Amino acid sequence: MQPRTIALVGTPNSGKSTIFNALTGLRQKVGNFSGVTVEAKTGSIRLAEQPTAQPSSPTDSTTTNARQTHVQCIDLPGLYSLNPKTPDEKISVEILRGEHSRYAQPDAVVFVMEGVNLEKSLFLYAQYAALKIPTIVAVTMIDSIQASGGVFDDIEMAHALGVEVCGIVGHKGIGIEDIRHAIAANDFRPPEAALQGLLSDISSELPRSTPHPEQESIEQQHEWARQIASDVARIPEHDALTLTLDAIFLHPLWGPLVFLAVMLLFFQAIFTWATPAMDGIDALFAALGDQITTLMPAGIVQDFVVNGVIAGVGSVIKFLPQILILTLVITLLEDVGYLARGAFLVDRAMGAFGLQGRAFVPLLSSFACAIPGMMSARIIASEKDRLTTILIAPLMPCSARLPIYVLMITAFVPSVFLAGILNVQGLVLMGLYALGGVSGLLAAKVLKSTAFHGSKLPFLMELPPYRFPTWKGLLLTLFHRTKQFLTSAGTTILLLSVLLWGLGAFPQAQISSGTEPIRAKQIQLEQSALGRIGKAIEPVFAPLGFDWKVTVGVLGSFAAREVFVSVMGQVYSVDIAESDEQLRTILQRTISFPAAISILVFYVYALQCMSTIAVMKRETGSWKYPAFAFSYTLVLAYTASLLVYQVCRVLWQ
Amino acid sequence: MSEYPIGATARILHYTHHDAFTERLREFGLIPGTLIRLLRKAPFKGPIEIQYRHSRIVLRPEEISHMKLERVG
Repeated sequence: MQPRTIALVGTPNSGKSTIFNALTGLRQKVGNFSGVTVEAKTGSIRLAEQPTAQPSSPTDSTTTNARQTHVQCIDLPGLYSLNPKTPDEKISVEILRGEHSRYAQPDAVVFVMEGVNLEKSLFLYAQYAALKIPTIVAVTMIDSIQASGGVFDDIEMAHALGVEVCGIVGHKGIGIEDIRHAIAANDFRPPEAALQGLLSDISSELPRSTPHPEQESIEQQHEWARQIASDVARIPEHDALTLTLDAIFLHPLWGPLVFLAVMLLFFQAIFTWATPAMDGIDALFAALGDQITTLMPAGIVQDFVVNGVIAGVGSVIKFLPQILILTLVITLLEDVGYLARGAFLVDRAMGAFGLQGRAFVPLLSSFACAIPGMMSARIIASEKDRLTTILIAPLMPCSARLPIYVLMITAFVPSVFLAGILNVQGLVLMGLYALGGVSGLLAAKVLKSTAFHGSKLPFLMELPPYRFPTWKGLLLTLFHRTKQFLTSAGTTILLLSVLLWGLGAFPQAQISSGTEPIRAKQIQLEQSALGRIGKAIEPVFAPLGFDWKVTVGVLGSFAAREVFVSVMGQVYSVDIAESDEQLRTILQRTISFPAAISILVFYVYALQCMSTIAVMKRETGSWKYPAFAFSYTLVLAYTASLLVYQVCRVLWQ
Repeated sequence: MSEYPIGATARILHYTHHDAFTERLREFGLIPGTLIRLLRKAPFKGPIEIQYRHSRIVLRPEEISHMKLERVG
């Protein structure tokens, strides 16, 4: 008889997730623990009664074969002790103690220990043992112990701890079958006996002089952990490969240079390499829309399917290549251990804005797109720092702003060269990027000194040994990110884009049959709810220099900033696909220079992106954060545009 | 510790303050009696990297200020 539910328990970086991936494969569910954004990974382990049968295909996992049983498995967030300091640790401790509202106490535990740092894992085990949950111990990275000239004796350890011990080499899959067999044979045993004896031996030897009783037990538990570790293994303190690599990666000169190179590559990857795939998806959805246009009779239903549903869904799926590339690069950097090094190098600079070293990854990726940026904020352990980073991510100059910047700059800024080489248009573009980036960092500073004042847990980070990534884990991460993104964010965005379409399509205008299509679109937009709202709230935007047409552009691009360009084309009756130049000429005639600068500044700040709002809601678990982000960026956008417009107007005359 | 030269070794004597953070340091194994070695300092008074037994951690210099140390090498 096997246990029904088991949990994987261990310190962060102990190799838990690798074992989880190997045991459950595609039979995983990745979600968030309710209320917090700590990842909850559950999966089922298929046990064959014939020990040689190994599951190869996920599709037959639902078949009820009498010879197979399934065990539910949860991969608990890593923890250092049973006195939790972070939200992740709190969840793990609550589940282990049987105090969690959603997850029951597991029937049994696979306790994962980091082979190259047994003391750290044994310290946690010393505290954990008091819970008396039936346990199997899995010791990971035993190949690293051997490679560095150390020895590890699993039989001695099993003897010392009184539980079954399996040696694992995660990235090669060695030892995984041993765990599977141990689960099938129900080799779990409560860890109490051996540990209690040893603990009392040690406590009788220690002088009882310290005034803090809880402190005494931490010291005792370490004492016990050190003793067991030295009994069962001899591990060199230095890992030669890690020392050599760190001599370069953390070198005062080479370290930052390597870091810059890595970041350049990272930026290139999401900014440039994703573009062909994004263009491809765009073209695919456009072609699909065209197909349906020819197949369906023209009219409101066709318009709904093509411009509401297909365009809406397409605008979401378009972000997938960026998200996949970003997830791939970050997971890879994290798995090999480089991310911790990067955080060490830039912590000082980020600290100036009240942020942690790790915040550089989300902020930099937000230069390409705030969505993968906010998703990568998960690497920040402190919840306050993570929320601050997510809230300022939309201020980072993302690539969706570029079409607007390019349109307005080419229309209003002369292409003249300063000192023969610097194009003024380029300088303005750079200025807009800098404005967004600097404003974001300042906003972080403000948030960190007000609402998110003080981090409970200061910057304290392990530098893990460098190790090989596991390809299976990498692919599983990509698969789950894709699934998560498409289902969760997709539904919200689809809903909102249908709503926006409805506002633009209703009420329907009376258009005589001979009207040019482009002119018909203009009339429809002008008489639609969207157009009427635009005209109604024009006075609100008038101090910024926006007329009702620009106001409609701002409203219409609520869903996605780049839509501003096509809405502008519609309100001015220009088919922009055919004539970009024509639109620029009209803009120059109808919009004053101060108003043009005001529009640019508005888009530097305003959070005009449904996808961002949907993803922010998912990443923070509450509507309150996207609502706040939308409001404060709108206030910033309005104030900054107002100032710029009014000042420019005075100077311009 | 951040004033020490790179490679210096010190012994932890005791903590001058007790809170969740110093508890975490002790849970990490930085208990009195442990020998720690300064491996690296990030420029501009950035974080420092220390090594003790099988662990290597980075923290900000001010975060180690509650640790009373005795330099031994």
